[in-house]
Amino acid sequence: MIKKIMFACLLIVFLACPAFALDGKMILEQVDRNLNPESYETYRKLINIEPDGRKKEFTLFSVKKGTDKVAALFLAPASEKGRSTLRLGDNMWLYIPNIGKPIRITSLQSVVGGVFNNADILQLDYTAEYDVEKIDETGKEYLLYLKAKNKTVAYDRLKMWVDKDKKIPIKIECLTEANMLIKTLYFKDIKDFGGGIVRPSVIETDSPLYKGYKSVIILAKIKNKTYKDEVFTLTFMPNMESLRR
Amino acid sequence: MKRSWFILLFIMFGFIPVMAIAEESYTFDPAETEKKPYSAAGYVEFKPILYGLDREAALYKLRFFNDPKGQTLLEANGRIQLEGSYEKNIFRIYAKTNTDLKSSYSGESERTTFYEAYGSVKPSSNLKFDVGKKTMKWGKGYAWNPVAFVDRPKDPDDPEQAMEGYILATVDYIKSFSGPLKTFSFTPVLFPVYDHVNDTFGNNYKLNVAGRFYFLLYDTDIDLMFMTGGSRTDRYGVDFSRNVTTNFEVHGELAYVQNFQKNVLDVNGNRYLVEGDAVSYVIGIRHLTTFDLTTIIEYYHNGMGFSGDDMKNYYAYITRGYNAYQTTGNAAILGNALQMAEGGYGRSSAMGNYLYVRFSQKEPFDILYFTPSLTWMMNTDDQSWSLTPELLYTGFTNWEFRIRTGVIIGARNSDFGEKQNDYRIELRVGYYF
Repeated sequence: MIKKIMFACLLIVFLACPAFALDGKMILEQVDRNLNPESYETYRKLINIEPDGRKKEFTLFSVKKGTDKVAALFLAPASEKGRSTLRLGDNMWLYIPNIGKPIRITSLQSVVGGVFNNADILQLDYTAEYDVEKIDETGKEYLLYLKAKNKTVAYDRLKMWVDKDKKIPIKIECLTEANMLIKTLYFKDIKDFGGGIVRPSVIETDSPLYKGYKSVIILAKIKNKTYKDEVFTLTFMPNMESLRR
Repeated sequence: MKRSWFILLFIMFGFIPVMAIAEESYTFDPAETEKKPYSAAGYVEFKPILYGLDREAALYKLRFFNDPKGQTLLEANGRIQLEGSYEKNIFRIYAKTNTDLKSSYSGESERTTFYEAYGSVKPSSNLKFDVGKKTMKWGKGYAWNPVAFVDRPKDPDDPEQAMEGYILATVDYIKSFSGPLKTFSFTPVLFPVYDHVNDTFGNNYKLNVAGRFYFLLYDTDIDLMFMTGGSRTDRYGVDFSRNVTTNFEVHGELAYVQNFQKNVLDVNGNRYLVEGDAVSYVIGIRHLTTFDLTTIIEYYHNGMGFSGDDMKNYYAYITRGYNAYQTTGNAAILGNALQMAEGGYGRSSAMGNYLYVRFSQKEPFDILYFTPSLTWMMNTDDQSWSLTPELLYTGFTNWEFRIRTGVIIGARNSDFGEKQNDYRIELRVGYYF
């Protein structure tokens, strides 16, 4: 009898574990699709706010295709206009018109300064970069514990609070391997962008590494659009403006 | 001339009130992103430089033999760059002008030229045709690019400066793949050299052909280049760049030049021609620490460069010419030496082997948009070197403030030791609009 009970318990544990892992992955996939279509174009504004209230704004046009291709073009301010960044999987490049050729950059660098780094600007799907290690349920939220799939990802761990009903993130903490907090992202102001895309339009960020500083991303437009693979190449980087209509 | 300086100062200081009142609440109106068929932009710069002169140096004697200076020399530089484009369907025209203004001991000067001016046709995202004046910027090196066959030489002292292009016709063809080879592109170039068309490049009345093949293979950027046609001797190149780890990049370039010729001075001051194949290369790394310190290290071998003995002979020739001028007033030798400076002896990185090390620390002490850096460049043949500390601040939207000093150290008859300055202090204020 005892053997039968133990066998039943083991069976439940074995069956339950894959179910939790599957749920976590599914929730994260839903979060990804609710934030962005798999391939899209978007206009964003990044604002760095200093403790004294001074601001510096950057306007970007970005395109993404599939799980590993994303590119962004700076439209403003004038000092950054024409710069473009490209990410193909773990490879990242920055093109500066004066320098005239793409140079390799890293995910932790920041082309805009302040709290945002290149990985934030050229973000891929969370499922492309992270595995779900654990899920907690807290009232109306899921808390997902994410672990980077490899060392090239900018943040080794994420803690993601997700709205259970909408499957949209509310808050994300970005952590190092040693669980040191690097920054926190707050998702706000849910907006209908058309084409079935309903998502937060404002992402606020603060960081214990930049005390008193705050950064904000505001989305103005986002739409489902698929570009050719050739758009996501070094040779195309100086021509990104030609994608805008 | 005075009007140009007035325009430069008006543009720069006319915008200071905008800078001071730029504190309003943030908004993002989608109308801000609407694309117009035309665009216009510009950059103005004011750059005073104080030179500390080395009055015993050969290059000081060559430049100031008939107009000796004191210990220091102050120079004011200005720059105005204007660019504009117009786009319709698959057609686009683009132009960028550059005006350099200088006020120095020799008076005031102005030089205006088109850095770029070309038309483009882009029938699809994988094909583009350009005709006109354009910079190509081949190579992966930060300070040097021996494979940049169709560009003007880069100034390793300021490698991020915009450069003037050449008149050419070029095509970009791109193809993407899945698998280890992710991207292939081919960029053929037609490069004419005729009267008033690229006529400073090399032998006249030649239509040169160049090309670059690019591969993104196993996460490594690889380029193969060539140039042939007779204006310069045939040359072939290869470069690569790869992230070994997320924050550690390696890159390199190699150029093979056939039948390269250069005029060299012997110990008696007689010119003779040296001819042979030459190999030049750059190998370098770029590393970023977790605390945002970027390190760039490059080693450059210039196979077309001069040896230590060649340079000693040249410096001795200048000294001989200087002494002759002092005693007889005859500047013929110095005239020849000036010609030879333009022919190669006076170029930056004119000798065989150099090391470049640059550290830049982004936003230390939580000071946003502030980047101090330190650049050290050494001629490893004669162990002379320069050290350039620099402070850069970009905290005001569209403004750039840079102050830097340069100290030059080297024995007599060495590359850096015979430069005209011992040190320099430079302020650069730039405004983008």
